[in-house]
Amino acid sequence: MADAAKHGPTAGDGVSRQTILGVAALGALAAVPLIGRLARLTDAYALPSKAQDARILQLVLQLEYTQVAFYEQALQNARLHGELREFARTALAHERAHLAVLKAALGTKAGPRPTFDFGSAVRDPDEFKQTAIKLEDIAIAGYNGQATNLTAGTLAAAAKIVSVEARHASWVRTLAGEVAAPEAVDKPMTAKQVADGLHAIGLKT
Amino acid sequence: MDRLTSFEGFLTSVDRDGAIAETRALADASVSRRRLLGLAFVGAGATLVAGVGEGRAASGLSTSDVSILNYALVLEYLQASFYTEAERGGALTGKTAEAAHIVGSVERAHVTAFRQLLGSKAVKRPLFDFQGTTEQPQPFLKTAVAFEDLAVAAYKGQAPKLTSKAVLAAAVGIHSVEARHAAWMRGLFGITPAVNAFDQPATRQSVNRIVASTHFIVERPEMRRRRKPEFTG
Repeated sequence: MADAAKHGPTAGDGVSRQTILGVAALGALAAVPLIGRLARLTDAYALPSKAQDARILQLVLQLEYTQVAFYEQALQNARLHGELREFARTALAHERAHLAVLKAALGTKAGPRPTFDFGSAVRDPDEFKQTAIKLEDIAIAGYNGQATNLTAGTLAAAAKIVSVEARHASWVRTLAGEVAAPEAVDKPMTAKQVADGLHAIGLKT
Repeated sequence: MDRLTSFEGFLTSVDRDGAIAETRALADASVSRRRLLGLAFVGAGATLVAGVGEGRAASGLSTSDVSILNYALVLEYLQASFYTEAERGGALTGKTAEAAHIVGSVERAHVTAFRQLLGSKAVKRPLFDFQGTTEQPQPFLKTAVAFEDLAVAAYKGQAPKLTSKAVLAAAVGIHSVEARHAAWMRGLFGITPAVNAFDQPATRQSVNRIVASTHFIVERPEMRRRRKPEFTG
């Protein structure tokens, strides 16, 4: 947070607004702490700044890594058929695109792909559905929870992703025979809650 | 009372009164499901606005936030009225009727929340003519898909422009719910719920142009006020 304060608010800096995710220049920023472990994330935020955007994007990167790995493994091992398979293939393609954009935005600062153990959630179709619902809901709540901490440009980019996660959540709920959108407003999650949620699902490192 | 702090609280209040837990518990009780879901959502809507205030002016909001919130309110009016009319008309059955009921309840809760937040600065509900689209399942679903996708794009376009963090926090929580609705309606209509990896925003200008092209809004509240004397004789 001290780094964010040092750099100061940069919301008025329009230079990188037009670049992908609004933060393509982040790779060149010095003094952006690399978050090796999600557990070390803090929820104390300064005013929006590019340095803070970068820290938040590391969290979001973990989310997308987890989703990509989850759908990849489920498609290989869970014998998904019909529309459920179509859902998993579609979601995987979207999550890969999200991951690519985030890695490009973070450049050399992007953390490495973690390891995972999703257990039977990537082997049993019913468990897969329930875990997919949890994972997509965590993604939505994670993005929403950071909205007020991001600069306007990065928020605009993140908003293009979060609604796609919401579409996935709705779709897989329908496939699980549940009410597709049971809430009037989506509640946000803190970074810590997101990290805990991802670890519970199978994020290892 | 600090209206904005209260509004921020609505993010958690929906859950705190147990309405959502109740909704989920009821998901298997098919007999009473629709009726009780309705009650649960009415409860959620009431909680949404309970702490917000007693209809006073939205003193804590910036002029631009008031403008954006009123723009969002018109879109919510449009959606809420559409689903209410469809449900009352009785043309929908099965899963489509269930979706219209639940989504309509949520859109009405959004309307209530925005009206309470804006207080005396809230625009009045326009008069709508949905051109028969609520009277048959397929035109209903096609229109619902268009409305929900439009709402997602509209919220996405405005979120980065909001100055109040409390309002922004609420707006993003509604934005993703509209996306869930969009996917739901698309699935019922028989098209892919999630087409692209990135959803694009829409400007206020383009949203207004699209809404105008539908001719669903037949009378703006301003017109109603001007006309009033004609009916007093």
